[in-house]
Amino acid sequence: MESWVRFNSQSQAKERIIRAAQYACTLLGYTLQNGGAAADLLHTVSQLEAHMSLSRKLLRLGNSVEALEAAKRAIHLSDGVLRLCLTISHLNRAMYFACDNILWAGKTGLVPEVDLQKWSQRSFRYYLFTLILNLTRDVYELHLLMDREARYRASKSPPSAQPSPSLSADPPSPAPEALPWLSRQLHLLVTVLYSNPPLLLDLLKNLCDIFIPLDRLGIRPTGSGFVGACGLTSSLLSIATILHPWLKLKP
Amino acid sequence: MDAVVQFTSQSQGRDRIFRATQYACALSVYLLRNNSERKDLVAKLKSLETNMSAGRKLFRLGNTINSIEAAKRTMQLSDRVLSLCLTAANASRALYFICDNVLWARNVGLIRHIDKERWSLNASRCYFLSLVTSLTRDVYEVVQLMAQKARDRHFRQKMELHLNESPEVAEAVIPQLDAFLFLLLESLRSHPAVALDMLKNVCDLFIPLDRLGIYQSNAGVVGFCGLLSSVIGIVTLAQPKLRLRP
Repeated sequence: MESWVRFNSQSQAKERIIRAAQYACTLLGYTLQNGGAAADLLHTVSQLEAHMSLSRKLLRLGNSVEALEAAKRAIHLSDGVLRLCLTISHLNRAMYFACDNILWAGKTGLVPEVDLQKWSQRSFRYYLFTLILNLTRDVYELHLLMDREARYRASKSPPSAQPSPSLSADPPSPAPEALPWLSRQLHLLVTVLYSNPPLLLDLLKNLCDIFIPLDRLGIRPTGSGFVGACGLTSSLLSIATILHPWLKLKP
Repeated sequence: MDAVVQFTSQSQGRDRIFRATQYACALSVYLLRNNSERKDLVAKLKSLETNMSAGRKLFRLGNTINSIEAAKRTMQLSDRVLSLCLTAANASRALYFICDNVLWARNVGLIRHIDKERWSLNASRCYFLSLVTSLTRDVYEVVQLMAQKARDRHFRQKMELHLNESPEVAEAVIPQLDAFLFLLLESLRSHPAVALDMLKNVCDLFIPLDRLGIYQSNAGVVGFCGLLSSVIGIVTLAQPKLRLRP
């Protein structure tokens, strides 16, 4: 109970729970529709989803400032690639929140002249750029760690320089050599991800999240059920990183 | 900027800002109600107020547990009167949140067949009870402070000086009243946290008093009191020294 109180006192944690509930409603709406449920039940679920979406927009009203502060901090990182990826990612996030604030103003009727469709597309575009940059950062970190792991393995057990006697007779064809290399790389990937849960969680989260703007922008339509499942998974992973701060990828 | 970010990262900080905005909108709607040129502005303010209120109900969904935990903590305080007042306040606040959650479910359409008016009145009653017990606690703290100050020799010298300085002022006609008021004001001035908490509870009290029909004021008074209490809430959250503990 104590941990719930501490968790609930963080504004971001509350927003994540509401996000999980919102995408659960999306998924529920899709399954109910396919299962042939009553129209008013579907209406209730979609109304609940819209209410949560609008309330989340209200809760996020100040987040542009937070994203700009994060971008200012990211400029001081030592690694060049990380610095570039994270700074631009935070700037895109700040732009996404700005578009989101305008959408909130439009939806609540404060500024009725807002073209909801146009600004919605804009906000999803910024969100997509943010996720692409986050994924680039994840891949870069993964590459660094895999390199380090490969060098560590090479230093531990010196590789045998001579090829096996059975292959020495024929000229080595490229296909059989590629397979052991591929399996080695896969093994390296699995080892690195297994020993670095923050990176694994962040990679999974970004992969799940990227299907949402891809669907909404029409680049790769997947349907509301898949979008709901992806959104729910990424929200749950995000809640796990808030509950256990050691699971958060730093910086 | 850093301080603003830190303040808004607390869920309570954001809620107080939204509450202040909500009551500011209510006050503005009341002030502009007869102005025919500003009808669309009034409509926008009403819409904003409704949206803020609906959003805040959603954000308050988990607060019942917070209040129950707070009640469990205050049961263990050493001072009996304080423990009783604070536990009663927290328990009634927990009941208020339960009624509030039921009202949210009704508004969203999850529960259909409940009497909205009855639950709304129950929520107001629980809120009223929590405010009354909080005010009782404030009065108790002030009485203790006054008793402590009255025993202090340095303060008694100050009081003598004050009572002897202007005998022709109206208050001096009733010297006991003058002494009492001086003691009260000095106690409140030396402990601003108690004064702020008392003012906040008194302002908040007008809201359920109007809703329950005990003391009918108008929407403008309710809006102003709500705004003032929200601003005091923001100040006490931003400056932890001004917060009354426990």
